[in-house]
Amino acid sequence: MIEIVNVSKWYGNFQVLKDCTTSVAKGEVVVICGPSGSGKSTLIKCVNALEEFQQGSITVDGTSVGDPRTDLPELRARVGMVFQNFELFPHLSILDNLTIAQEKVLGRKRDAAVKKAEQLLERVGLSAHAKKYPLQLSGGQQQRVAIARALAMDPIAMLFDEPTSALDPEMVSEVLDVMVTLAREGMTMMCVTHEMGFARQVASRVIFIDRGEIVDDRPPEQFFGNERSPRAEQFLSKILHH
Amino acid sequence: MQVWSWSGFFDYLTNPYIMEGALTTLWLTAVSIVGGLILGFILALMRLSPRRLVSAPAGAYVWLFRGTPLLVQLIVIYTGLPQLGIRLSVVESALIGLTLNEAAYLAEIVRSGILAVPQGQVRASRALGMREAQIMRYIVMPQALRIIIPPLGNSVNGLLKTTSVTSVISMEELLRRTQVLIQEKFMVLELFAVAAIYYLLITTLWDLVQRRIEARFGRAYQQNGAGAESDQR
Repeated sequence: MIEIVNVSKWYGNFQVLKDCTTSVAKGEVVVICGPSGSGKSTLIKCVNALEEFQQGSITVDGTSVGDPRTDLPELRARVGMVFQNFELFPHLSILDNLTIAQEKVLGRKRDAAVKKAEQLLERVGLSAHAKKYPLQLSGGQQQRVAIARALAMDPIAMLFDEPTSALDPEMVSEVLDVMVTLAREGMTMMCVTHEMGFARQVASRVIFIDRGEIVDDRPPEQFFGNERSPRAEQFLSKILHH
Repeated sequence: MQVWSWSGFFDYLTNPYIMEGALTTLWLTAVSIVGGLILGFILALMRLSPRRLVSAPAGAYVWLFRGTPLLVQLIVIYTGLPQLGIRLSVVESALIGLTLNEAAYLAEIVRSGILAVPQGQVRASRALGMREAQIMRYIVMPQALRIIIPPLGNSVNGLLKTTSVTSVISMEELLRRTQVLIQEKFMVLELFAVAAIYYLLITTLWDLVQRRIEARFGRAYQQNGAGAESDQR
């Protein structure tokens, strides 16, 4: 579904991604972790072309992301993305946050878009809030809306960029619950996250990135067993030792 | 020379000739602000373009029209252009002068409003597959509009009074008509007081309108706002 082959990226002289190669098969859930500034968010943003890369290739469902002839908006409409800071549209009601792209991008009729939005709000447990505005919701609720907004486009895969990093601790689990359900239903997912419990629970593979390089790319049993790299070992000891 | 005349003052307060002048001030302002906004919006988008060939002309325009007095611009348009064979009526000259001048200021206001919308909003819109024009129309502009309403309201207030400058090319707005009456009747203080009251009345009414517009656009931003019908379950 997603093929990343020898991808390199530079910001000026600084190389953020070094020859990254990995793939995500249909239905797989891949968790990407690594120290801050390691390039993990950059890598995931390359998948839907929110970031450019200079070398290598990325293919999503047969479409080459780096090909200048690719219609990027059309590609992005098929891949859902959830951001660290939710990025809901503050001037639109929750319902309209879920319908706007359905109507303007997919050309769905208002009725169909609203119906879809209502189903998804129900699913993330926020039906009662449809008429509210984003800033009237808690962080956890906003992030669940953001997931529903992405799902409203019927994506073939979902990208999560540190979806719980900006949340108060007590709100992390309500967002992870939604993600776990989604994973179990067979959604193809790439998740940049430090939630190792989530990785243990649903990940098909765990990728560890350090200084722009993919250092580990293995099943969670191995990664959380004893087959990880020394760099991953060091990283895990830092985030898990409390 | 007489002292202050109350009867003269009250007579002119309801004088149709003055009232018509006040109405002219109103529509001059309305037309120029709408025209200025449209032109200002185009200029703002041009200035934000990464291409110098597009941004530079807009920059030059803003520089020229903000850097010279409106008074000079009006005189050039009305009495200078005929030298080049372009003859415009008083009304046309006043409208064009006010609109062109206002556009330069509004372009800067619109530009700052667009820049104030966080880049994350654009990224999120792109991630949903929206195209750049759609992002501008449905996501960036509505949010920028809310940001620019206070300075925009300020511009309207300023423009309501700036229209009086067009009296120099004999545009028959409130000030011009006041002056005409003064030359006939010599009630200088009474007539200027009447004009001042009309200006105050119009700007005060505008203040009320602006406050309602701000409240409307601010609805979504109240943390537990009334407009959200938050108690519906």
